[in-house]
Amino acid sequence: MKLLSSILLLLSISFSAVAEESKSAKAWLERLSSSLQSLNFSTSFVVIKNNQAQPYHWFHGIDDNNNELEIISSLNGPRRDILRIGDVVSYIEPESPPYSVRSKQISGPIPAILSGDITQLESGYDFISVGKSRILGRPAQLIRIEAKNAYRFAYWLWLDQKSGMLLKLSIVTKKGQQLEQIQFTHLDVTENLSETLLQLPSTELPVIVDIPQKYQQQKLQWQVNWLPKGFKQINSNRHKISLTKQPVEFMLFSDGLVDISIYVNGTKEQQREVDFVMDGATLVLNQVNKGIEVSVVGKIPSQTAKAIADSITILPPERP
Amino acid sequence: MNENKFETVSSCVDNFQHDENAFDEIIKDEHLSATWDRYHLIGDVLRNDTPDTLQFDLSAEIANAIANEPTVLAPKASNVFVLKFKAKVVELAKPFGQLAIAASAAGLMVLGVQTNVAQNNETILPSQIVQTIPMAGIAQPVSLNFQQPDRASQKQAFIEQQRRFYALLSDHQQQIKLGSSAVNVVDKAIENTETDIKKANEHNK
Repeated sequence: MKLLSSILLLLSISFSAVAEESKSAKAWLERLSSSLQSLNFSTSFVVIKNNQAQPYHWFHGIDDNNNELEIISSLNGPRRDILRIGDVVSYIEPESPPYSVRSKQISGPIPAILSGDITQLESGYDFISVGKSRILGRPAQLIRIEAKNAYRFAYWLWLDQKSGMLLKLSIVTKKGQQLEQIQFTHLDVTENLSETLLQLPSTELPVIVDIPQKYQQQKLQWQVNWLPKGFKQINSNRHKISLTKQPVEFMLFSDGLVDISIYVNGTKEQQREVDFVMDGATLVLNQVNKGIEVSVVGKIPSQTAKAIADSITILPPERP
Repeated sequence: MNENKFETVSSCVDNFQHDENAFDEIIKDEHLSATWDRYHLIGDVLRNDTPDTLQFDLSAEIANAIANEPTVLAPKASNVFVLKFKAKVVELAKPFGQLAIAASAAGLMVLGVQTNVAQNNETILPSQIVQTIPMAGIAQPVSLNFQQPDRASQKQAFIEQQRRFYALLSDHQQQIKLGSSAVNVVDKAIENTETDIKKANEHNK
């Protein structure tokens, strides 16, 4: 009786402690999301991957018309700017002429979900509040977004205890190896819009590309039979890869945090061994099997990518 | 108690120690646990992160508070039956009280360990990573001799592969940028059809 009751007591205490932890971790992430949406801030950060550091400036604010204004620009090398006014995002890059898309999210070095609805990650990830430390000269809280299974990487976030802002982010393997880091080097949260953002509404943005619905949801002659739980298809289309002019059939999947691209095309080669490279946490895997080339790209471990590539089957041609 | 053990505690506090046994040893050893507490307190003070009132040992305070509680004595009862009943309650409640103290102390210990397991402060540069190198220009096609693949054709194949990887990577990034907007386009299309259906329904009525 004594033993049983003591076990019960211990269990109930540890369970409630775990629940409490994940609740407070979620509260931290919700606070981060609202800070990223509502604060006027100007900040700098470096993305560290492949033994290189790439510095960025990031401005965000709310104008008088309640529009969100945002600029992320890369500071080294050719100009790479992302501008956002409300729900129009413009990308200025060396690879292609500038263009705008209709979206509320910037697709850049910071995962867009962090300023979005964090609850959609709950099915695939656990939120854990880990501990305190000092980042960017401020007391910070470490929150881990840990994948529920081994098919994904973990995201560690250090958040400012005062403003709830992001101070550091690491993408980490299950074994604890850090693949990619974003370290903030400067953070200013201000009452008013910064000078740079005040000029943004008067800038003429590039034309919005209109993507026809038919283009993005095409029916393809193959299917993916396995993906880690929680991934949903975002689109499927046929296009040419801009750099090599290679025509491909393409599907894009996302679990909210991680995007996976899958490319399938015919090739002259009959067989080629599987080969992959990592750009920070982003894996590019490529193999040729029986004259069909399959490539998988995304921030996932190589085993996951290989399993996805192997699960693809070609459908028999439909009879008209 | 030797210097080594204190060093282990210190490295655990700083998250340089990943040996599970080290944690077990600290938890078991009262002296080391106290050192663990003290190191964290020092860390908090250095970070200027201490709460207004410091509670050094919660379990000791709870035990004190319980000791100071006035003992409830059963009032003199005229009925023998009631007396018996009360005695039973005391007997049952006593072990539970002790258990609660033990359990809360253990709970604190578990919590304490959990909150400090990983604080990786240093900036580690990733290793074991193959870099994708953006290739300038277009590689000239080379006639391949399939019977005897020489070094030049191997190099050519390598460059070809790097180009392929880089092209895929940049296409992936571009598709994500277009992807999020495509979802909006699709959502809007669905909304439109829904409103169309509604209108049609209203019209039929």
